[in-house]
Amino acid sequence: MKKVEFEKLKRPETIKLPSMLDFYPLEDEKNTRISPFFSNLKERRLTTTRCEECGKVLWPPRIVCSSCFSDDLEWIDLGTEGELYAFTEMRLGAPLGFVDDVPFCIGIVKIGGLSISARIDNAKYEDLKIGQKVQLKVVELDDGRVFYRFDAAKETP
Amino acid sequence: MRRVAIVGGGATRCGKREATWRELVQEAGKAMFEDVDNISPKEVDALLVGAAQPERFVFQVHVAPMVAEHLGITPRKVIATTELMCASGQAAIRYAWACIASGMADMAVAFGVEKMYMPDMAEAQTNMTCVLDREWDGINGLSAPPFFAMTAQRHMYEYGTTKEQMALVSVKNHHYSTMNPIAQFQKEVPVESVFKSPMIAPPLNLFDCSGITDGAAGVVLVPADRAKEYTDTPMYIIGSGQANIGNAINNLASITEWIPLKLAVEETLKTAKITLKEIDIAELHDCFTISEIMEYEAFGWAKKGEGGKFIENGEPYIGGTIAANPRGGLLGCGHPLGATAILQTLDILHQFRGDVPKGRSVSDAEIAVTHNLSGAANVHSILAYSRTEK
Ligand SMILES: [Zn+2]
Repeated sequence: MKKVEFEKLKRPETIKLPSMLDFYPLEDEKNTRISPFFSNLKERRLTTTRCEECGKVLWPPRIVCSSCFSDDLEWIDLGTEGELYAFTEMRLGAPLGFVDDVPFCIGIVKIGGLSISARIDNAKYEDLKIGQKVQLKVVELDDGRVFYRFDAAKETP
Repeated sequence: MRRVAIVGGGATRCGKREATWRELVQEAGKAMFEDVDNISPKEVDALLVGAAQPERFVFQVHVAPMVAEHLGITPRKVIATTELMCASGQAAIRYAWACIASGMADMAVAFGVEKMYMPDMAEAQTNMTCVLDREWDGINGLSAPPFFAMTAQRHMYEYGTTKEQMALVSVKNHHYSTMNPIAQFQKEVPVESVFKSPMIAPPLNLFDCSGITDGAAGVVLVPADRAKEYTDTPMYIIGSGQANIGNAINNLASITEWIPLKLAVEETLKTAKITLKEIDIAELHDCFTISEIMEYEAFGWAKKGEGGKFIENGEPYIGGTIAANPRGGLLGCGHPLGATAILQTLDILHQFRGDVPKGRSVSDAEIAVTHNLSGAANVHSILAYSRTEK
């Protein structure tokens, strides 16, 4: 009878973070038709699409209006100062890629007539207040992709 | 449309199980088929499998045929997986119901399964972050706990709801789950324990949140006029409601008022031809303590903003205004996503049969509802059941 082989195998110790698991979207014009959102963000502008046909402001940015199905949409600025509607702080149970950030604050920010979710930087949960002003902030990954956050720090005079 | 009955079912013990996804399926399948008289798996011509994220938790898609293979089922009419996140199991029941009611199938199995414990729990948390809009909400670290934490914060801010009132929901549901042998949590949890449990996302402590859970369950559906061939104690589906408004945070109808739930409740009462007062048992989706408080309000047992007082006064206990979650709820039993709705339904069947321990038995119960929410509470799903054919 032949001897049964027993071979040890090695798996790679680390693998590159798969692109879908880093949470940040693919932002350039080769990958998305809303790439202007991200190029505007690089210029420190938070924008979204508004329907030229029916006037509806759409968030997240779209290529077709969900109210009238027009694809005639324009980019509008939402401003750079928002108001905190609700907030919490992630203390346990963060996903991969966010674990090193714990604890971090998350909020719903009223801005430009919308209520959007966002990371709230420069803040401790205990110091935040419903209704307080927060300032737009842009974060950039080392590969050049960008996203918005808000900063809770008071302006230094 | 034909009337539809549930003639039996079975489930696994829920919790952190030393068992794989497919082993959970086999355990629950065996229990299900052994619960129904005169049944052969070959009779099942429709199989719907509620599974929220098998592709993330166990890296497997096309799971309905896998369930069929392990249970000896060879569907000839309908087979599919149903995904509606936390309401995936209710989606399976709804489709199975529609298959029988329409005449498309004569025997359907609605199954639910989730294996959520992973060697690396940060990976499990990652999975839960694609439940909301991943690119616009998830990217901010927004998974269920922070979303419901902000819901709780607003409810406290607008209506004066307290952390203690929220904790009382956890106390009640853990009390009932001590009398449920398949529940994940078997110990009483006093208010102080809720307060002392680790803070997840303020104002929510760990015991304000339902658990990460492994579990599976299945139920068998047939036309009502054939139910007695399979059991002396069938129960009947008498109505339902389901509504959705928005998905991403910005597009919700409201964060402190669940309008889709109010719509689903209205539709349920209308289609089941019942009043709120006629409901004896409500299995509510208490994924977080604040959820159950908002559900007292949306169903109409408590006035808007008074859900906290409702639990403080003991109204959702057996013998009160409504027996809410006498199974032990998601807080006490755990929340194996795809299996949860099936587990709720199965417990209603056991209640109607008089087959649950005395301390959590609702005597003479005739009408019950099961409720699930999913996503950012933007979808609400309800089924209504009757012990007798109406
Ligand atoms: Zn339009």
